[in-house]
Amino acid sequence: MPLVNFSNLDFNQVKTTLKNYLKSNSNFTDYDFEGSNLSTILNVLAYNTYLTSYNANMVANEVFIDSATLRENVVSLARNIGYLPRSRKAATAFITFFIDTTNITPRPSTVTLKAGPIASSSGNFGNSSYVFSITEDITVPVVDNTAEFNNIKINEGSLLTSNFTYSSRNPNQKFILPNIGIDTDLINISVKTDNSQFAPSTKYTRQDSLFEIDKNSNVFYLQESDDEQYEIFFGDNVFGKALEDGNFISANYIVSNGDAANGINAFQFAGRLVYTQGSTEYAVTSGISLLTTAGASSGGDSIESVDSVKKYAPRIYASQNRALTANDYESLIPTKIYPETESISVFGGEELIPPQYGKVFISIKPRFGDFLPNLIKQNIKNKLKKYAVAGIVPEILDLKYLYVEIHSSVYYNTNLAPSADSIGTLVSDNTKKYADSSDLNKYGARFKYSKFLNIIDNSSDAVTSNITKVYMRRDLRIAVNSFAEYAIGFGNAFHVKRASGYNIKSSAFKINGIDQTVYLSDLPNNDLKTGSLFFFTLPSLNSKTPTIVRRNVGTIDYQAGIVILNPVNITDGKEKDGQKIIEISTSPLSNDVIGLQDLYLQLDISNSAFDMIIDEISSGLDPSASSYIVSSSYDTGNLVRSGGPVTSSIDSVTTSSAGVPSTTTATTSSSTTTSTTSTSSPSTPSSGGSSGGGGGGGYGGY
Amino acid sequence: MPLERVSKGFKDISMSFQTNPLNSDLIALKNETAISRSLRNIVLTVPGEQFFNENFGSRVSQSLFENIDRITANIIEDEIKLSINNFEPRVKLFTVTANPDFENNAFDVTLTYQIIGADVPPQSLQFVLQPTR
Repeated sequence: MPLVNFSNLDFNQVKTTLKNYLKSNSNFTDYDFEGSNLSTILNVLAYNTYLTSYNANMVANEVFIDSATLRENVVSLARNIGYLPRSRKAATAFITFFIDTTNITPRPSTVTLKAGPIASSSGNFGNSSYVFSITEDITVPVVDNTAEFNNIKINEGSLLTSNFTYSSRNPNQKFILPNIGIDTDLINISVKTDNSQFAPSTKYTRQDSLFEIDKNSNVFYLQESDDEQYEIFFGDNVFGKALEDGNFISANYIVSNGDAANGINAFQFAGRLVYTQGSTEYAVTSGISLLTTAGASSGGDSIESVDSVKKYAPRIYASQNRALTANDYESLIPTKIYPETESISVFGGEELIPPQYGKVFISIKPRFGDFLPNLIKQNIKNKLKKYAVAGIVPEILDLKYLYVEIHSSVYYNTNLAPSADSIGTLVSDNTKKYADSSDLNKYGARFKYSKFLNIIDNSSDAVTSNITKVYMRRDLRIAVNSFAEYAIGFGNAFHVKRASGYNIKSSAFKINGIDQTVYLSDLPNNDLKTGSLFFFTLPSLNSKTPTIVRRNVGTIDYQAGIVILNPVNITDGKEKDGQKIIEISTSPLSNDVIGLQDLYLQLDISNSAFDMIIDEISSGLDPSASSYIVSSSYDTGNLVRSGGPVTSSIDSVTTSSAGVPSTTTATTSSSTTTSTTSTSSPSTPSSGGSSGGGGGGGYGGY
Repeated sequence: MPLERVSKGFKDISMSFQTNPLNSDLIALKNETAISRSLRNIVLTVPGEQFFNENFGSRVSQSLFENIDRITANIIEDEIKLSINNFEPRVKLFTVTANPDFENNAFDVTLTYQIIGADVPPQSLQFVLQPTR
């Protein structure tokens, strides 16, 4: 029998094939017995075949980007189609500090902050300390004995330098930066004619393509070589200036810790300050203020993974560096424009009803926070111009989040649990896992109430039952200080609990013409299908005596789950991610909340509450259930949500006296409405300590 | 009466790789010789030595650096019995004796067995187990 099966990759299969061959072609018979000499020889032959076929398979695998597994091969294949994988990114922060030069002699006229380490994270940040650096010197003037370093950008990591001398006699010379974890956006290359102190130095800039380059351009190119290191190479006097023999190349770069250094908000000065007087350099060591920062460090990220390279390299190649189709935007933005993208969804305007031809709509979920700040949106639009084709206008939309909030009363058996805290931790850990799962966090997701109850019940043997209330919330972004009409859809029907109103709750906000913070709520019509909206004030967050200040300010459709506010000038609201918003929440008609159409469903654990209640019946403390703690299955609690601006003075607002209806006049750009409101609680609330908003942003509303 | 396996005979290759001067064929080991060679192979193979069959062999080499006494000899006997019963289906093992040879730091091992299905008298195989390094 001839050897027929060539595709075996398994040792035992190969050995069986060899045995089958021997069976029909040999005088020897003992191949079947493992102890025999023949078996040993078969082992050697099979092992040899196995190694050869493994190698052949591996080589074939690594030739194609789809099947390659080793990073250097994937990177090399991506290089063939002009793709440089994203490097590790250093976290950045902006710091401000000043130097009092009163006691410094001789008097400096300028102060220079030298390149290198500037600040270190103060205190223990996750048991490790991080250094932040700048790549170039910063010099500021001294005005009124003060040198002020304002909002300087610092990058996490150490500043390192590598030097090379170019030799034309060495045709295989490579300029490899010998560190891993380099942020390629922070590489500075300068080239001197030779390695002498006085040789003029020329700065070279990084270039990715051959566009706009000629033989005189001082540019360098970058490619990833083995082990996540980077190799620099220079032009050839056609595309970019070539090096000459003896040129001295100096590369400054930052080696960072990537995303580990995100979220640092306290810094200690660790830099070097100098000034020059005459030809002498003096160091400044005193009079340095504390460092202040505008926000925590952010933007740190690890090097692009092999999977990501495999995904994006062909797509970037397909996009040919121009943004035309929706797919082009989906691959260009996360890789070349805004690496902090967590997920992105792009659709053409022609898919809208009515269609908006020539527009492409982009919604981006950033890795940190929910919304993109307007500045970053503008930046993305500007950077997109480089890839734009005529006739397509990109519009960046905010993701429309529909948050699900949970208030759960969890009953537990004290005999089976060490403490309420331990059960609470288990429950919240499990619900967090559900919140992060792909059941939610996507378009077209559904919050499955019964599954969720199961998750809580199964968190621990000690959990005997749970009463869980579901709320849904949307954050209405407001156009501060301008008249605007607002419409916000929940995509789920509202539960009309009270025909007397107050079925929806809002966080505090301020409108033009009313000094006090106001809240939004609803009053159903007789059909309980639609209703009108009104603004009201409250003497305190948990008060049950609202004062309606303006009626008929909008409409509400309980069945479609849509809230529409007539044009109104909102001047302040709750702050979230640098944006002013109003939180609007309500109970859904069905506990299974869906993410309708373009709504992105998220389970908001930080605004959810889990109350641990001792199940006295199961625990044997109270077998007759006479002091059983009852939890309502329906919404109870405050009329409003916490958070939002705080009323500075309440006295000045309400002008009505006892028994006289208060009158409020509202003016909008489109119409003038005068409404008269009879208030049931005409007396002016006392100003002492009562405020419209909590300011905390916690879950005070429920 | 159970059906006895009747074999035409066993034929294995010799590891000396010498050739027959008359016909230039490789020298073959037959029947009893082939099986005794196989038994020695099994006992002297350390588990893990053979690729993709990490249980094959016997762990007697681990016992050779223990104190030479009756207990170690018993362990070696058990190990040899276990490995031969597992990996050599052609024999029915009767006895295994390992005698400590204190003078030479070795064990003299004697196996007696019947070859299943072959019309030959019970066999005896002797070899010496000695620590090597």
